[in-house]
Amino acid sequence: MILLTMFLTFFKIGLFSFGGGYAILAMIRQEVVLINPWLTQQEFMQVVAISQMTPGPIAINAATFVGYHKAGVLGSLVCTLGVVMPSLIVMALITVTYMKLRKLEWFKRIFKRLRLLSVGLIGAALIMILPKAVESTFALGVFIVSFFATWRWKVSPFTLLIFAAIFGAIFGIA
Amino acid sequence: MKKYNFKKLWSIFFSFLKIGGFTLGGGYAMIPLIKREVCEKQKWLSEEEFLDGLAAAQSSPGPIAVNISIYSGYNAQGIPGMLVAVLGTVLPSFVIIIAIAMLFQEFAEQKVVRKAFSALEPAVVALIAVPLIDMAKKSGINKHNIWFPFIAALLVGLLNVTPVIIILLSIAYTLWETRK
Repeated sequence: MILLTMFLTFFKIGLFSFGGGYAILAMIRQEVVLINPWLTQQEFMQVVAISQMTPGPIAINAATFVGYHKAGVLGSLVCTLGVVMPSLIVMALITVTYMKLRKLEWFKRIFKRLRLLSVGLIGAALIMILPKAVESTFALGVFIVSFFATWRWKVSPFTLLIFAAIFGAIFGIA
Repeated sequence: MKKYNFKKLWSIFFSFLKIGGFTLGGGYAMIPLIKREVCEKQKWLSEEEFLDGLAAAQSSPGPIAVNISIYSGYNAQGIPGMLVAVLGTVLPSFVIIIAIAMLFQEFAEQKVVRKAFSALEPAVVALIAVPLIDMAKKSGINKHNIWFPFIAALLVGLLNVTPVIIILLSIAYTLWETRK
């Protein structure tokens, strides 16, 4: 039964995720932390961090991790299948019809609006997890340095997180 | 019965396996690599076809890297090509995350791991904050429409309204707006 719930949950996440990785985070958190008690807030943050340090799309990583956490390898398989299935269906349809659709005014407008919305959804993910980044002086310091390292000095996410992990392991709070 | 070129299917699978296995930092980081592999090395698609596909992949739900692999695989070798491309893209993350998840429960309680995550968490928040600035520029935000992403962020982030409702309402409103 939980397998079916997991499949449907990740199918929903896959179906309503526009705008790539970060825009999906708010929805994944709602589904796996708030609606279904599958991960704690802290575990969710760990999944996001791990996703950034490992290859592949963040939604796939989250699906695999949550699935394994709740129901082992079979759970991983079910969740990943769930999150990929809408892409397979919709993208196959779009691949066939896109060249016609994209000339239509309503189609263009919908995606202009959804692009705008995905900015809002990244904002939502930030609102959800920002308190975590400012809960101690140490966390606030790491946040500010990381922000400028990524924004101004264009440090890659992987390099940044490796440095953060080493720095944390030495100077962090247990 | 159509005959499929198994050598080509294998090379589609292997190309996407390589991309899926060696790209860090999520979907957007994978796009230049996919483009190089698909357009320049394997010549399955022309540059123009790829850019059309990319636009479609961005407007379609789901991870962008998965979507573009579906498009490329389909154009290279029909539905079997599409399936092996997706399998190749997803398999590396799947295996790596399962391996990490297996080990993680033992390591998560170690003091050094907890300390490492105390710095990783704020760093991740920063990683999410930075693309917000870039994306806001690219999405054509101006003083007339900024209320929309702003309200959406508050509804989803503070009141836990599901994005599903907002997406469906946006689509419905746009259709209503462009009726005629």
